[in-house]
Amino acid sequence: MSRSIYTNAQQGLFLAILGFTASMPVAADMQDDAWRTKFVLDRLENRRDDGEDLRVWEAQLNVRSDYQGMALKIDGERPEGGPTESAEYQLLYQRLVSEFFDAQFGVRYDDRPEPSRTYAVAGLQGLAPYWFEIDTNLYLSDEGDVSASFEAEYDLLLTQRLVLQPAAELNVAFSDDEEIGVGSGLSSAELGLRLRYELHRKFAPYVGVNWEKKFGDTADFARDDGEDTESTTFLLGVSAWF
Amino acid sequence: MLMSCIKKAVPLLAGLWSLGALAGTYNLVIGEQPLEIDGQAKTAMTINGGIPGPTLRFKEGEDVTINVTNNLDVDSSIHWHGLLLPYTQDGVPGISYPGIRPGETFTYRFPIVQAGTYWYHSHSGFQEQEGVYGAIAIEPAKREPFRYDREYVVMLSDWSAETGEQIFSNLKGQSDYYNYSQQTLGGFLDDVKRNGFTATLRDRLDWGSMRMMPTDIADVSGYSFLVNGKSTDDNWTGLFEPGERVRLRFINGSAMTYFDVRIPGLKMTVVQADGNNVQPVSVDEFRIAVAETYDVIVQPKHERAFSVLAESVDRSGFARGTLAPRDGMKLALPDLRERPLLTMADMSMASMGGMDHGSMDHSAMGHASAQPQAMDHAAMGHAPAQPQAMDHAAMGHAPAQPQAMDHSAMGHAPAQPQAMDHSAMGHAPAQPQAMDHSTMAGMTETDADYASGSGLAPSAANGGKFLAYGDLKAMTPYADYRAPDREIELRLTGNMERYFWSINGTKFSDAEPIRLTYGERVRLRFVNDTMMMHPMHLHGMWQQLDKGNGRFNPLKHVVNVAPNTTLTVDVPVDALGEWAFHCHLMYHMASGMFRKVIVEPPATSAAQM
Amino acid sequence: MRFTTSIALALALATSAPLAIAAEGHGHAHHGSSPIGQPGTAAEATRTVEVTLYDMYYEPESIAVKSGETVRFVIKNSGELLHEFNIGTAAMHEKHQAQMQLMMDHGMLTPTGVNHEMAHMDHSAMPGMEGLAHQDPNSVLVEPGATVELAWTFPGDAQLEFACNMPGHYGAGMVGEITLD
Repeated sequence: MSRSIYTNAQQGLFLAILGFTASMPVAADMQDDAWRTKFVLDRLENRRDDGEDLRVWEAQLNVRSDYQGMALKIDGERPEGGPTESAEYQLLYQRLVSEFFDAQFGVRYDDRPEPSRTYAVAGLQGLAPYWFEIDTNLYLSDEGDVSASFEAEYDLLLTQRLVLQPAAELNVAFSDDEEIGVGSGLSSAELGLRLRYELHRKFAPYVGVNWEKKFGDTADFARDDGEDTESTTFLLGVSAWF
Repeated sequence: MLMSCIKKAVPLLAGLWSLGALAGTYNLVIGEQPLEIDGQAKTAMTINGGIPGPTLRFKEGEDVTINVTNNLDVDSSIHWHGLLLPYTQDGVPGISYPGIRPGETFTYRFPIVQAGTYWYHSHSGFQEQEGVYGAIAIEPAKREPFRYDREYVVMLSDWSAETGEQIFSNLKGQSDYYNYSQQTLGGFLDDVKRNGFTATLRDRLDWGSMRMMPTDIADVSGYSFLVNGKSTDDNWTGLFEPGERVRLRFINGSAMTYFDVRIPGLKMTVVQADGNNVQPVSVDEFRIAVAETYDVIVQPKHERAFSVLAESVDRSGFARGTLAPRDGMKLALPDLRERPLLTMADMSMASMGGMDHGSMDHSAMGHASAQPQAMDHAAMGHAPAQPQAMDHAAMGHAPAQPQAMDHSAMGHAPAQPQAMDHSAMGHAPAQPQAMDHSTMAGMTETDADYASGSGLAPSAANGGKFLAYGDLKAMTPYADYRAPDREIELRLTGNMERYFWSINGTKFSDAEPIRLTYGERVRLRFVNDTMMMHPMHLHGMWQQLDKGNGRFNPLKHVVNVAPNTTLTVDVPVDALGEWAFHCHLMYHMASGMFRKVIVEPPATSAAQM
Repeated sequence: MRFTTSIALALALATSAPLAIAAEGHGHAHHGSSPIGQPGTAAEATRTVEVTLYDMYYEPESIAVKSGETVRFVIKNSGELLHEFNIGTAAMHEKHQAQMQLMMDHGMLTPTGVNHEMAHMDHSAMPGMEGLAHQDPNSVLVEPGATVELAWTFPGDAQLEFACNMPGHYGAGMVGEITLD
């Protein structure tokens, strides 16, 4: 195709037009750097143990671009009718550090009946090889105590919509903080098995079972307070995101 | 005297009149209206009230004036896909012009300097997904070099009740949101039965170690597929008289969907690709990447209906139309073929190496697929397998045994017999002068369209001929065919899990424009490091697809780059200005697989100005 | 013997010589019984029809002849690609297309020309290659730029087409009608 009809006429105008377009917003319609919001209600469940009901929630709000942004994580437990036993809020800056992982830094505030705590947080959240969803964090409390947590989940697809999800959580403390009932060493562990049915990609009710146990000094502190150190509960809940 | 003056003036006036006739004005109005197609309803975006918009029929040499009015409440635009024009008329907001504001009319003016089948679509937001697209058919200045009795546009597209923004948001929220064909426990047990426990587990671990899914064929599903805006039930019909030759102008106006196209019972003679005439090639089926066009001629001789079937590559459905002697005829839809599975051959070493687990046991991966060597070839940039190794004596020469020698797997296009070793036949290899040796220049590249052992490599439903890129040879040799002045490597990259796509690991918003100099010939070497096919589209200039056909390498505006393959195109840089260059999968483009290309005058002429 | 003719044909093409050889090879056996007619000689011809081959069409696209007439065709290839001028029925063309495809597959023909070296080779011993030679008297291959002649005596009545059976060309419409009065 002969393009000569343009070349000469255009060369003259070229620089001027270039100057004009340079002042335009660059590809105004490209969304490739947009900040997006995603709210994940990972768990909202009722756990039943010896006739007592416990409401448990775990959610995360991300406001971010592909590479960085903020995360708000909310965890909590509240017996039916009773006051909230514990509510954990983390406000984190997050940044993509590999194809599958974000590094996260920020603060955690535990709202509890007795002394509350504020922590500095550093963690990693993402998808590990073999499809394990990982969330692992290191905490430094305002009392100077260091602790760590490790959570992992795996989705086993029984069908395209019926998903069995084993989950594990380990909490480790590097020193005693008796006021909040945490002892040095492996303090507590939790194993769950949830069977969810994805009515919709964004909404799935589930049933499951959860086992948790306190260890070492943490268990001793619990016993001193007249609490159970181990419990197995059946649960019913929903997960959703939007 | 007077009479002779009039006699002289008549042809002159006729000439002026014909010039006048070659300056058409066209009006397009982009609007919004509720629309239900195939049971999927939404507020669609239309052009002149329809989906697709009107087919624009231009004539080569015509000066067109096109008034585009935006009746949406957001900015809009129209891009003339594949047309060579001044860049300010190209219709890409933020690059060619600022776009068209709500309620405003933009008047495009440009000369038509080419012929063939093209299309137009909005380049704003996700408006193309919502319905803002239509066909362009340009009649050549001289006669059509083919004979046919009638012609139809066959515009393929994907239609969803969801808006483009919803689809994009869903993919951003969960990249496998639309994949309801994932591997399950049941599938695992089936595979154990078939392949044994160890092999199956190893396969799952291989994919799991990379956090990739072999079922990841298409990002979006749930689409209804349309022919000229009609669902399979609505059955677009093209009429013919038996014995007539019918030209079909296939255009893939989908946002995300590749199709495999066939017309059971008819051979299709492909005569044009991306608007440019090619040496005709008779095929049973062809794959049309998003935004490509193919023109075929068929000759139905019997008085019956023929289904025009475009099966989505993920085998989720058909776009179906019918060629029939009368309206109202329709054949039953055939069963969908089995959904393909990616293999390890579709996984590039680069993307594996790019992950944070250097200790991965590569040797284990060979067990998962039949073709571990495929990874060595394309990913490591080796020359393809030497065809000389083929033993003709052992081949048997019955025409119909494609299986007996898999040409595509051997790394050369079928139409290169000169590469074969005839010495096995008991005579010296020939070097005849009649052969076009320029074709040999391209032999260094991978000539197969898919990585050897790829799960995406297509085959015809009837076992016949499936069009390959190597079959596309320009009808007329390219006058300025020469070695490229330089080469630019473009790795096609992305983050599947987080759903953003990039070139050389950098998204559009973080990237510098690609700068080219007017008059140079630049070779683009695409290296696909992802597991998906990418239809790469350059605005304003051709990409001369190098599949080893030398000066007959065809000119295309979109080239499909398959996973774990390298594809080269030569770009004659013959259009000044700023141009868009991107993957034509809508949500890949929107998430960053995009570059601005700036073509600058050579330094000397700039200095003169 | 059959193959020798094909070599002669190929050589004739190479030199762009008028293609009387093919016809001579088959002699002047005017049996008069062939449904499509038989080779004629230029001397017999009552008139000359010039046919130009382009990529991908003929000019003219239809030719009217009289029953029993001998016509001298002067066939010029003004295209960039190799083309054929073949007189036959639609069914014959279809059959010939398969042979031409095979010749392409084996490198005897390329899109732009005849592979003369290959044509020298004896492929007839190879399975599937029997009779693979472009030797039919009702057909000529014309390389780009070449001009070739063919004299043909038409029958009394027949449904004939002139066509290019290079792979794909017929399907693209490189075929014309011969009308017999």
